[in-house]
Amino acid sequence: MKYILLLLSATLLFSLPVKPLLAAEAPASVTSTAGSEDDFETDPFADEETEQLQVYDPLEPVNRGIFWVNDKLYFYLLKPVARGWRLVPEPARTSFDNVFSNLATPVRLANSLLQFKFKAAGIELCRFFTNSTVGLGGLFDIASENNLPKSDEDLGQTFGHYGLGSGPYLILPILGPSNLRDGVGRIGDSFLDPLPYSLRDDEVIVTKVFDAENKLSLDKDTYEGIKKHEIDPYLFIRSAYEQNRAAKVRK
Amino acid sequence: MSKTLRTGILVLLISLLLTSFSAATAGPMDSLKVTVDEVMQVLKASELDQDLKREKLSTTIRGAFDFASMAQRILARNWKKASPQERQQFTALLSALMEKSYIGNIEAYTDEKVAFVKERIKKNNAAIDTLILTDSKEIPVSYRMLLRDGDWKVYDVIVESVSFVNSYRSSYGEIIKKNGMTGLLAKMEEKLTQLQEQ
Repeated sequence: MKYILLLLSATLLFSLPVKPLLAAEAPASVTSTAGSEDDFETDPFADEETEQLQVYDPLEPVNRGIFWVNDKLYFYLLKPVARGWRLVPEPARTSFDNVFSNLATPVRLANSLLQFKFKAAGIELCRFFTNSTVGLGGLFDIASENNLPKSDEDLGQTFGHYGLGSGPYLILPILGPSNLRDGVGRIGDSFLDPLPYSLRDDEVIVTKVFDAENKLSLDKDTYEGIKKHEIDPYLFIRSAYEQNRAAKVRK
Repeated sequence: MSKTLRTGILVLLISLLLTSFSAATAGPMDSLKVTVDEVMQVLKASELDQDLKREKLSTTIRGAFDFASMAQRILARNWKKASPQERQQFTALLSALMEKSYIGNIEAYTDEKVAFVKERIKKNNAAIDTLILTDSKEIPVSYRMLLRDGDWKVYDVIVESVSFVNSYRSSYGEIIKKNGMTGLLAKMEEKLTQLQEQ
């Protein structure tokens, strides 16, 4: 019987949370109020990806103007075309998207290398050879199905990786949300795009428009959702863009 | 039966009892799974009409989210400045708007699967990473949960690294700066009536 009591008390002792007891002895913790309001303020996951981002937007009036034009362009031209394109079965459209993604390998490869991400760079090479051959010229993303994930890298992220801030927020005509860093990055990345080296200028434009419309047809009406539900879509998208980019830079 | 054996059995029974006590509250991932399963089931139920679907989704969402905590996080510093009445009104409007927005966005996803990837728990907070698997891509969706009165409730949804709470904190913060708390509440009210009319 003595043993049982001893064991019981031992089990109880070890099952008690030791840390709070130790913390209670420290005088510093006395000053922190344990009110219900403070529970909300302390978020242990806040540092990961949910920290508040103050977006630097000195050109807001101009940006809002371009945003307005883009909005009209989207609803009266780009989206109706994409909706018509949805008549093509989704697997086919996904395959078209895969081809463009495969052609963009140089951008991801170069930026992985610039950030010394050698494993990601190696995977990009493997992906390119697998998808170009077995994947029939990139139509099928065989690599992703075989644990060779695509690494989302671009020059804007490379700049960010080396500590460059995003600079003023920009709305680009047609292209949409960006910032100075990512905009310059886009220009740099365009030199690694194989299309202009193999096609005439007008052919490049047609191909780019096709790629964009195809992507729009695959999108689940994200912009429509934001437009419908948000009080100020411009502010919501601005915050979302910067959060998304900041997370990509961190990865 | 020897004395040590009897002791052993007793210890085993006691420890079983202790573990069953601690397992009384379901883990955050398990309770999220229940919610997501319920949502998916309603979305897939072809025999239900739109209104009934939305009603069912609404009940599920209201039970799974902690809108009070969400409201406080979104207003952040402005929460302290707000009067109790403003806080109450904001929380009510936010929950109605979030519900509409969540249902509106989720309705586009009917035959997708959800994979539960990872669960991290720090005291009363939890982060659950999931993936929505569509035909063409995987969309990372992470949930932030809080233990309230024995139940895990969602207070933030993070889609492709974009946190709902942060997006609203940022955009609502700007609106408060320009139009004040009353201005924001009026705009929210206006948005809600507009959505209800549709």
